[in-house]
Amino acid sequence: MRFVLLGLLVAGCTNAAVPTPTQAKCPDPDPGTLTWDGFGQKFMADFCTACHDSQLNHAQRNGAPLYHDYDTLLGVMEIPDHIDQYAGSGPAAHNTLMPPSRCPSTPGGSLDRACPEPTDQQRTDLSVWLACERNRPHTF
Amino acid sequence: MLALPAAAVAVARADHDMAMSENHHGQSEVSIGLSVEAAEFEDTSYVGSYQGLAPALAWMRGRFGAGATISVYRLIKNGLTIYGAGDAMLSGHAMLVSTEAVHGGVALHVMVPTGSELDGLGMGHTMVMPSAWARWRSAPWTVAASAGYGRALISLGGAPGAHDHGPMPLVDPMNLQELTWSAGADLDVGHGVQLGGRTLGGVPLGTGHTRVIGGGRLAWGTPRVSTGLELQVGLAGDPFTVRGVVDTALRF
Repeated sequence: MRFVLLGLLVAGCTNAAVPTPTQAKCPDPDPGTLTWDGFGQKFMADFCTACHDSQLNHAQRNGAPLYHDYDTLLGVMEIPDHIDQYAGSGPAAHNTLMPPSRCPSTPGGSLDRACPEPTDQQRTDLSVWLACERNRPHTF
Repeated sequence: MLALPAAAVAVARADHDMAMSENHHGQSEVSIGLSVEAAEFEDTSYVGSYQGLAPALAWMRGRFGAGATISVYRLIKNGLTIYGAGDAMLSGHAMLVSTEAVHGGVALHVMVPTGSELDGLGMGHTMVMPSAWARWRSAPWTVAASAGYGRALISLGGAPGAHDHGPMPLVDPMNLQELTWSAGADLDVGHGVQLGGRTLGGVPLGTGHTRVIGGGRLAWGTPRVSTGLELQVGLAGDPFTVRGVVDTALRF
């Protein structure tokens, strides 16, 4: 019984934030205001590709999983739900798991600075853009 | 009979081997153990290594026993170094069969999510793992086997849009629901020394990764102290490429 109580106590102390779908929706019809060229590419460059870049080998990624590369629209559209659950904001969740607290000044470098943080509006725009982008025609 | 490492009772070896020691006596016995491990891994998402330190505490009386252990790790994954605790393991077991040659029983392991799931140090969920184990002894040989079932105490439907990061957590991967097994044999070579080998693994029920681990072990024991050195390789499922484990236990 003591072990069970100890287990419940410890379990209750480990309520870390979890990746959650934001359930953001693209307006209908798609206004086309949030695009890769006009929003997504800059968002990724500002907050993500210092680690999530296809040019970085495993030792340079500062923990970013392999094949989670956001330097191209194709890379983003491989896992839009994952990005939404870690960095997006919407009706169901406000996810701030990414970016982390420390970032490299140069891609692949050491974690020598505090990470720039997207504003709440940028996180909201990210989730809406992902919701819209997944329904748009692509050639890849 | 050569005493087996009491660390096995407390599951100090962080590899989900549900086998148990039959080193029981009528009176109460307490043991403390320490397991040190180092591994390298490479799967679909991560390349890296980890080192772990796992103190263990176990208690036995008659047919019953209980134990607890928790590991602390230094984990390097894709160039990022992380320090932290892994999941804590609580265990209880009962011996149902006890003859000169054969011992067997049942066990219940509960893994508490003290490790960070996002960092790759923990499952992120409480795991419950009932199992059965048996050991047969015919000097100089000892043969042991176990079979179990592991289940996370969550819905197994998966989050919408979830995708596979490979075996998780990185330090000691399991599936959310799986069958576990282990089998091994040890040979007494004299002066309290045993040489042995074992294999163990897990088969997912539903989505997941089948894993198979093989290892060779050198152990030395007395009634009070036991120490073992095990070298393991990941044969399937990328739990790690190679792992070394040193464990020692002191009984009172």
